[in-house]
Amino acid sequence: MVLLDNDTFLTELTRLFQKTRISGAINVTMKQYYGQTKPPPRDTKRTSVSEHSEHKCLFRATNGKKKLSTVISSKDVTKFQMAYANVLKANMDNLKKRGKRDAKTKTKTNKAT
Amino acid sequence: MTYINSWEEFAKAAEKLYLTNPSKARIVLKYRHCDGKLAMKVTDDIVCLQYRTEHAQDVKRIEKLNGKLMRLMVSK
Repeated sequence: MVLLDNDTFLTELTRLFQKTRISGAINVTMKQYYGQTKPPPRDTKRTSVSEHSEHKCLFRATNGKKKLSTVISSKDVTKFQMAYANVLKANMDNLKKRGKRDAKTKTKTNKAT
Repeated sequence: MTYINSWEEFAKAAEKLYLTNPSKARIVLKYRHCDGKLAMKVTDDIVCLQYRTEHAQDVKRIEKLNGKLMRLMVSK
């Protein structure tokens, strides 16, 4: 697994989106993360989640062949979230738009205001 | 492996599921450009919630929920 920093992850994610334009799918997973890479010991009474000082967020993306991952700390969350939203909006452009014409003009006027 | 049809229902259930077990839950977005399909899945390996869409207007609310959960993950 390739662990990247946040910005590189997003550029690589964009590349992955472009690769899957003709065929294939892309999977993006996110989960809570606090630096532990091994499974927790059976006796979990001692280490509860609340003991971990810093909560982070682990992001993974794959197209089945290539894997990407990054860890987001709490201070980077706002920045990453906005950049991530832009990547999604830019690349998920094969979904159905609202068919009716009046709906389209409505959105246009909304944008203008 | 059933899909939830109503977005409101899905969003509510997804958040609840995450909050019951934050360390186990994961959120998966799956996108197929060639078919124009987007799916969101929230699971803790016991309960699995899925939502599927083909419409562009859903991207915004999926992203919003995604961001909300992301914030929950790093907070506390």
